[in-house]
Amino acid sequence: MTASVTTDSTPDETPVAAKGGRGAARRFGTLALAAAVVVGLLLGYAGGLLTPSVTRPGENSAEAGFARDMSSHHAQAVQLGLMAFQQGEDSEVRQIGGDIATGQQGEIGTMQTWLRLWHLDPTGEQPAMAWMPDGAGLVRDGLMPGMATPAEISKLSGSRGRAFDVLFLQLMIRHHLGGIHMIQGILDEGHDADVLTVAQTMKNTQQTDLTNLQAALKRLGG
Amino acid sequence: MSISTPGGPERRPTVVSTGKKPAAGRPSAADKPSGGKAGAGKGTPRPTVGGKGRKPIAPVKVSQGRSWGPIALFVAVGLLAAGIIGYGAFAAYRGSQPWQERADAIKGVVDFRKKDKALVEGGKHQPGVIKYDVLPPVAGPHNPAWQNCMGDVYDAPIANEHAVHSLEHGTVWITYRPDLPADQVATLKSKVQGKDKLMLSPFDGLDKPISLQAWGFQLKVDNADDSRIDEFIKTLRVNASIEGPNANCAQGITATGTTPRDNLQQPTQ
Repeated sequence: MTASVTTDSTPDETPVAAKGGRGAARRFGTLALAAAVVVGLLLGYAGGLLTPSVTRPGENSAEAGFARDMSSHHAQAVQLGLMAFQQGEDSEVRQIGGDIATGQQGEIGTMQTWLRLWHLDPTGEQPAMAWMPDGAGLVRDGLMPGMATPAEISKLSGSRGRAFDVLFLQLMIRHHLGGIHMIQGILDEGHDADVLTVAQTMKNTQQTDLTNLQAALKRLGG
Repeated sequence: MSISTPGGPERRPTVVSTGKKPAAGRPSAADKPSGGKAGAGKGTPRPTVGGKGRKPIAPVKVSQGRSWGPIALFVAVGLLAAGIIGYGAFAAYRGSQPWQERADAIKGVVDFRKKDKALVEGGKHQPGVIKYDVLPPVAGPHNPAWQNCMGDVYDAPIANEHAVHSLEHGTVWITYRPDLPADQVATLKSKVQGKDKLMLSPFDGLDKPISLQAWGFQLKVDNADDSRIDEFIKTLRVNASIEGPNANCAQGITATGTTPRDNLQQPTQ
C-alpha cells in the first residue's frame, strides 16, 4: 500500500482529491467489471474449444487402439463372410456369411468414423493389441486373437462343398471367440460412453452368432 | 454518520473517518499520526462531511486509485486466458492439419497428387496390360480386380494392373528389390502381415532397395529400418483411399505374376 498522506493539504484540496478518487474508483470498477466479464467469456470460450480435445480419446488411448485393431480384425471377418456367401454350400452358412460380412463392415465404418472425429489416423504408432493389458503377447505373426493364418485362408479358398462349410464354421467360431476377448478388453479398459455402447452391441451380436455357428457346425457334423 | 461516502469504505479502506458512532468519541483516533488537523474536513462541499466532527479525523489517503492486487490478478488471469486460447488455437491447427500436408512433410516423399492431377483421379477400369509411366505405379487406370490386400505377403512380383486398384482402396504397397537381404525382407513382412490395407511384394528393376506406394504418393528408401516407412504407413494407409475406409481388400487376386488376369476381353476388341 502506498499511502499518500495528505495531512498538510489545504482544506480545499482534500475534497477534490477525494472526489477525483471516488470518480476514478467508480470508473475503474466499471472497467474492471467489464474486463472481468470479457476475460470470463474468453476463458469459457477457450474451455469450450479445448474440452473436446482434452476429453476425446487420444493417440494411445484404449479406445483408439480398439478402433484400429478391431477394424483390422473385422476386415478378416468380412473376408471370411464374403467367402462363405460366395462359396458356401449350406444355405445357412451362406446366410450367416453374408450377415457377418455386412454387419462387421458397418461396424468398421463406425470405428473409422470415431477415429476421424478424434482427429486420429486409422493407423496407430503402437503395435497391435498394445492397448490391452498383456495384449501384445496374444499377437502371433501380426495376427490378433482368433484370426486365421494365411495358410488357413488359402486352404479355405481352395475348399468346396461340406468341407468348405465346416472349415468356415471352425474358423469363424475361433475368429468370434478372439473378437469377443478383444471386445471384453475395451469394455474393461474404455471410458468413452459411445464406444462402450457399440462394443456391448458387438459382443451381443457375436455371442448370438457363436450360438448359431456352433449349432450349424454340429448339424453338419463338423 | 460523519462520512458516508458511497465509495469511501471500499476504495479507501484506511480512511478512518467513517465514524459510525460519532458520539462514542473515538478514544484514540490519534493512532493515526495525522489525526490532528481538526479543520481538515470543514471545507468540503459535501454536507455530510461537515460539521459534527468534534475530532475530525483527517482522511489518510491511501492508494490513490491504484489497487495493484486486483490489477495484478487481472493481468495474470488475462495472460492465462490468452495462453489457453493460444494453445487451443495451436492444438486445433495441429490437429486439423490434413494428412496430405503431413505426407508432404515426410522427407523424400513424391506427391503425384500435386504433380499430376489427371493421373490421380482414379476410378477408371481398363482390362489387360496397362503401361504406367511411374514405376512402381502410384495411380491411374487399373484392372477391375484388385490385388488382395489383407496384409498379404507376396514372395514374387505381382501385376501392376491389380496393385494399382489396391492403392485406390487405401492400401500402402511396399515393394523391394529382389536382392534385398532376407533380414530386411523379414522386417518388412512383420510390418505387413495380419494388417489389412497393406501388402508386400518384390519388384524388378527398382532404382532403390525399397519403394513404398500409396495412391498418388511414393517414397523410396535404402533400408527396412528407415523410420520413414512407419511414418508413410501411418500417414497414408486408409487415408489415401479414393473410396474411403470401407473399400474392400478381400476378394482380390491372390496369385502372383506380373501378367494381369482381367485381360480376357482384351484380345477380342
